[in-house]
Amino acid sequence: MKRAAFSLLLAGCLQTTGGQLVTFEAEAVGTPEAASFTTPKGYDVVLSRARLFVGAVYLNQTNPSNYALETSCILPGIYTGEVRGSLTVDALDGSAQPFPVTGNGTDAPTRAAELWLTDGDVNDTRSERVVLEAEGTASKGDAGWPFSAVFTIGSNRKQPPRDPALPGSRPICKERIVTPIPTDLTLGEGGTLRLTIDPRLWFSAVEFSELTPSSSAPARFEFIDDSASAGQPDIALYNGIRAAKGPYAFTWR
Amino acid sequence: MSRSCLPISAALLVSAVAVGDEVVPPEVISKVAAVPPVGAPPALHEHVVLELTITDDGVVHDVVVIESAGEAWDQAAVTALKQWRFKPALHQGKTVASRTQLTFNVAAPPPTPDAGLAAQPDGGELLEAPDAGQAPAPERQPPEYTTRVLGRAEPKSTAPSDFHIEVGDLRIVPRKTSTEFLKLAPGILITNEGGEGHPDQIFLRGFDAREGQDIELTAEGMPINESGNLHGNGYADLHFIIPELIENLRVVEGPFDPAQGNYAVAGSADFELGLQQKGLTAKAAAGTFDTQRLVLLWGPPGESSRSFAGVQLYRTGGFGQNRDAQYAALMGQYELPLSQSATAYIGVNGYAAKYHSAGVLRADDVEAGRVGFYDTYDNRLGGDTLRASIYGAIHHHGGPFVQQHQVFLTVRNARLTDNFTGFLLDVQGQLQNPHDQRGDALDRNSLAITVGAKGFGRYRARVLDHNHELTLGYFGRFDLAEGTQQRLIAGTNTPYRRDVDLDSKLTDVGLYANADIHPFDWLTLRGGVRADLFTFNVHDNCAVQDVRRPSSQNPPGDQSCISQMDLGKYREPDERVSALGSSIMPRGTLLLGPFAGVTLSGAAGQGVRSIDPQYVSQNIETPFASIFAWEGGAQWAHRWQSLDASARAVVFGTRVDKDLVFSEQAGRNIIGGATRRLGGLVAARARGGFFDLSLNGTYVHSAFEDTGFVVPYVPDLVLRADGAVFHALPWRLFAHDLRAQLGVGYTFVGRRALPYGQRSDVISVLDANVELTWRWLTLGVSCTNLLNTRYRLGEYNYASDFHTSGAFPTLVPQRHFSAGPPRQLLFSLAVNLGGQS
Repeated sequence: MKRAAFSLLLAGCLQTTGGQLVTFEAEAVGTPEAASFTTPKGYDVVLSRARLFVGAVYLNQTNPSNYALETSCILPGIYTGEVRGSLTVDALDGSAQPFPVTGNGTDAPTRAAELWLTDGDVNDTRSERVVLEAEGTASKGDAGWPFSAVFTIGSNRKQPPRDPALPGSRPICKERIVTPIPTDLTLGEGGTLRLTIDPRLWFSAVEFSELTPSSSAPARFEFIDDSASAGQPDIALYNGIRAAKGPYAFTWR
Repeated sequence: MSRSCLPISAALLVSAVAVGDEVVPPEVISKVAAVPPVGAPPALHEHVVLELTITDDGVVHDVVVIESAGEAWDQAAVTALKQWRFKPALHQGKTVASRTQLTFNVAAPPPTPDAGLAAQPDGGELLEAPDAGQAPAPERQPPEYTTRVLGRAEPKSTAPSDFHIEVGDLRIVPRKTSTEFLKLAPGILITNEGGEGHPDQIFLRGFDAREGQDIELTAEGMPINESGNLHGNGYADLHFIIPELIENLRVVEGPFDPAQGNYAVAGSADFELGLQQKGLTAKAAAGTFDTQRLVLLWGPPGESSRSFAGVQLYRTGGFGQNRDAQYAALMGQYELPLSQSATAYIGVNGYAAKYHSAGVLRADDVEAGRVGFYDTYDNRLGGDTLRASIYGAIHHHGGPFVQQHQVFLTVRNARLTDNFTGFLLDVQGQLQNPHDQRGDALDRNSLAITVGAKGFGRYRARVLDHNHELTLGYFGRFDLAEGTQQRLIAGTNTPYRRDVDLDSKLTDVGLYANADIHPFDWLTLRGGVRADLFTFNVHDNCAVQDVRRPSSQNPPGDQSCISQMDLGKYREPDERVSALGSSIMPRGTLLLGPFAGVTLSGAAGQGVRSIDPQYVSQNIETPFASIFAWEGGAQWAHRWQSLDASARAVVFGTRVDKDLVFSEQAGRNIIGGATRRLGGLVAARARGGFFDLSLNGTYVHSAFEDTGFVVPYVPDLVLRADGAVFHALPWRLFAHDLRAQLGVGYTFVGRRALPYGQRSDVISVLDANVELTWRWLTLGVSCTNLLNTRYRLGEYNYASDFHTSGAFPTLVPQRHFSAGPPRQLLFSLAVNLGGQS
């Protein structure tokens, strides 16, 4: 009886289907402190350039905890927000760098986020878009390694299927989407979504001493832009920019 | 040449009735003497036997000669008879049209009371005998004749919102499809995002019944809902009904009548077919958007309106993009009086359609100018339909018993291609070879064969000076349904995936008992119980669509229907499941009155919607959507000479345990949670000698039971007005009257709730039609959306990606809509031949 009365009360009061559609601004900021830092492996790094190309941002209402095991890069129904405009973020600049488009979404709680590191079709392997540009010098003791990194994610990053029975198990989109980035926010009309990038965490696992020299006079080293490379620094940096936990954080203002 | 009078006497003979009971035959009010033919040969017989229709306002129509005394004598009798006026027949206390035979005695002997004047002893005009040598008529008695009530018995009200609607003069109001006649009942919104050949979507009193899934739809009692249709279990396409052949509607807005069966969740609607216009009518219309319509109708003189034939051809280029449609419909029905106490009818219909549809558009694309308001994303959308049915019934009454039995057989195929989400759902599967989004276009095809029977027996008894009735009825149908659903690659019609492939055998057997008890003059109790048993035998030809650990040597790849289990162990890709379920549904109504023309009533009942075969599991008691509905109201009716007025007000509530909610990903309604509705309606109709006006309004609050949130997409406020005025003009053309008719229809729908707290735009549309009739010729011009309002007929909020705005997919909900039709003009010309004998 009480339940029926409560239902009737609800029926009389609520005039909404629940939830709300929202539009919002989006911006990215870098981390000025990353201009000079020490990695967990003991390298002192001075960054003169750290730019990440972000094609789009998507927010998820459920944490795709098994995402790594899923093959689908798009899971219809889990999205709470999107910012479908590209921005090259200067990760050393602490000022707000606005995305060129307005974001759309709902006011459902956001639990995770995705960064799409591509400028076009997420499944098109032909893209040669540079997603990472980094320059600097790493040193440990007396040794130094002036380095540069220019990464793309295209056919150079295509992985063979892990099982011939599962030919669709490792699509290129899995390489391009950084997810799930832990997030806890709720979008609202007129607010601003902020992406903070800390490039220090890109280099956390890099053994700079194993970098491949690109020239000897002056001494220069570079990260190889190919997943075929077995070099530890190449793999570590590539994994670093694709790490869901650490380098990226979303906040709502 | 001298004119002398003809010794004609008429005998209106009423000895029995053929349909229904409690019939009071028509009586003569005024007579006009016939003028005997001058110089005509002698009469062949002593009497002319004529058959005529006496309308419910006492006017003579449709006179045919049954037994001739010679052409000149016949014509004299017919001419006179057409000027007679009658007090119409009464059936169950209400005036009704009737078909009657009448004898004009040509010979000198005056009629005698025992010469067949059973009900009207002074039925003719006794005049002088002619001079010319007429042979003495042989002595013989005129035969006994019958008065037969035309049309159908008025159904007894089972609820405050049990609407029996005579279309009547409101036929002049523009209606493009037969479905739109339903708007004469309160709380109904008709939309269509699928094109003119696509079945209309029906909203009724807070329910989104889509294409009929929540409304039991019948035509002349023959079921229309298709069990097992993949587009929706209970899918109903009403386009096969030619609008001119709709005579009456009975709409019951809730499950209150024990005769209502499966799908009567929001209610039921029966289209009573008939054609009042006798003779051959040809109607041609043409108008904007390259629209043409041709209709041929045949109403055999001397037969009831339930005997007719009709053919309709229709084609349109459609407004905007990709809305062309062509269809043809054929309907025929013949009512045959078998005896004084029995009639039968048999009917056939056929229908074929091919059409395209524009589908939905994203509002942001329209606002950005990427697509136009009336454009489409995909010109492959649309469908085709085939339908053929035959049905027949026999009605018999004898003493206190009445019985009726009906059989029906329908074969139908429907194919439909639609796409609500663009390029969103074709996600990469592990088993599949790498692919891009190939598009979400759904290609559904359903073939269904339905055979069944229904009927009832009714016993009437008079106890304590009041009539009481008990009705026992049955219903049975068997459906053989095949359905496939595939996904098509964008830009081609190549299927890349099979979602569903079902062969279903479905039965529904129902029994009901219904009592009609009148303890007092002011109290009526009606109600009973209905029980339905449903069986399901479903062969799923694509039962397995994934495998956790496939064979490495023989991977299934892109196959949709997989024939292996883990590690490649073989299995057949198909599977059969069967299940059974039953439901018992009590229903009852209480009526108090009438008191000064006002009847108070209340009703409650339970209804059921059978489970979609897609959801059937082996040996599981099939879950039903069951509804409980109640309502109370007051109804008032009054008649002042030529003015008929009625009005009613109703409050109602419903609860459904498994409501249907639209899913854009499925492209159809799917089972949702429990919902409740609470609302009220008002309706009124006034009819006079030169006008017919109908008004109705409904407000309903529909909410989910667990959260209290409003049910999306259903309208809460619906207003509808239909009006017709008709009168002879003060001018005459070649000595014949000119008659003008004007019909206007107006629909207002309030802002509908949409997902994510949004509200739609209002719908406000005015339609008008004007016709000018001269003798057998009618000219007309019809205009729908007279004010050329640009409006959104359907609106939705969900995620889609139609590849219209950059490289990145759009994955969050956005507003979508289907465009309402702009102003459309249709000019028509109709010719009637042989309409009056």
